[in-house]
Amino acid sequence: MTRQAFMARLREGLRGLPAQTQADIMADYESHFADGQSAGRSEAEVAAALGDPDRLARELRAEAGLKRWEEARSPSSAGAAVFAVLGLGAIDIIFLLPILMGVVGALVGIAVAVLAVFFAGGVMFAAGPFTDPPGGAVAALMGGLGLMAGATSAGAVLTIVSIGLLNALVWYGRLHYRLLKPALEPQAQGTLA
Amino acid sequence: MPEGIEIQLKKGVLDLCVLALLSQHDSYAYEIAARLADDIGMGEGTIYPLMRRLQNEGLVETYLEESPSGPSRKYYRLSDAGRASFVSQKLAWASFAHAVESILGGAQ
Repeated sequence: MTRQAFMARLREGLRGLPAQTQADIMADYESHFADGQSAGRSEAEVAAALGDPDRLARELRAEAGLKRWEEARSPSSAGAAVFAVLGLGAIDIIFLLPILMGVVGALVGIAVAVLAVFFAGGVMFAAGPFTDPPGGAVAALMGGLGLMAGATSAGAVLTIVSIGLLNALVWYGRLHYRLLKPALEPQAQGTLA
Repeated sequence: MPEGIEIQLKKGVLDLCVLALLSQHDSYAYEIAARLADDIGMGEGTIYPLMRRLQNEGLVETYLEESPSGPSRKYYRLSDAGRASFVSQKLAWASFAHAVESILGGAQ
């Protein structure tokens, strides 16, 4: 593979990353080719020793996605982290997918329930006193407040659990691609003199 | 997915090797990759995802230095956290290697 072909496939694989990150990564590999050339190696040798540009791009994308999550905890960066790990496309992560979907489904279900309890509490608090509830208006006010407070704390716990689970996934993803096998296979040709 | 023990072993110590090289002197990616490709058979391209991760984790820092030939070059150096991490990983490796040695020695 020529330098141009390698860089083109790398650029293709990095699409969607922030422009600055892409430029940094491309510059790293460009200078690697330049260094290789001054060490007397051909473009094809350097490209072969670098490995598969598609796989390198997957790892670099994954790292960028995980970094976003670590810098800012938001729903969109959470999505980026999940897709970063799934984007690695490794077999055992695909096995993980059904479990992951089950867990996410359960979390969403609990979140909906928590919201429903909160609104029910709000309705009881606001409308309860006017409907002649058993126990009187004060009981309805207190009951409504209690439901809302309970739902709020359940929501907080749910958020902490979600963040913890996602951190575990990020850890697993890192562990995985850091250890990805082909990266360590001795190269057939083009090793440095 | 069965893997050779050699690959398993290399996987575990790649970070440690990079930190060790940088603890001796600041270096640039090509030089680190060349060393590791020769000595432990790492794919050269892997060095860049690895260096970005170490940078994200705050273990290494980069700076640009004029190169005698051509454009300025990106050098990596250990941060304080990187130095501390290297020392503790090195200790962990030494005691682990020692334990394995003594078990292997007993097995003849």
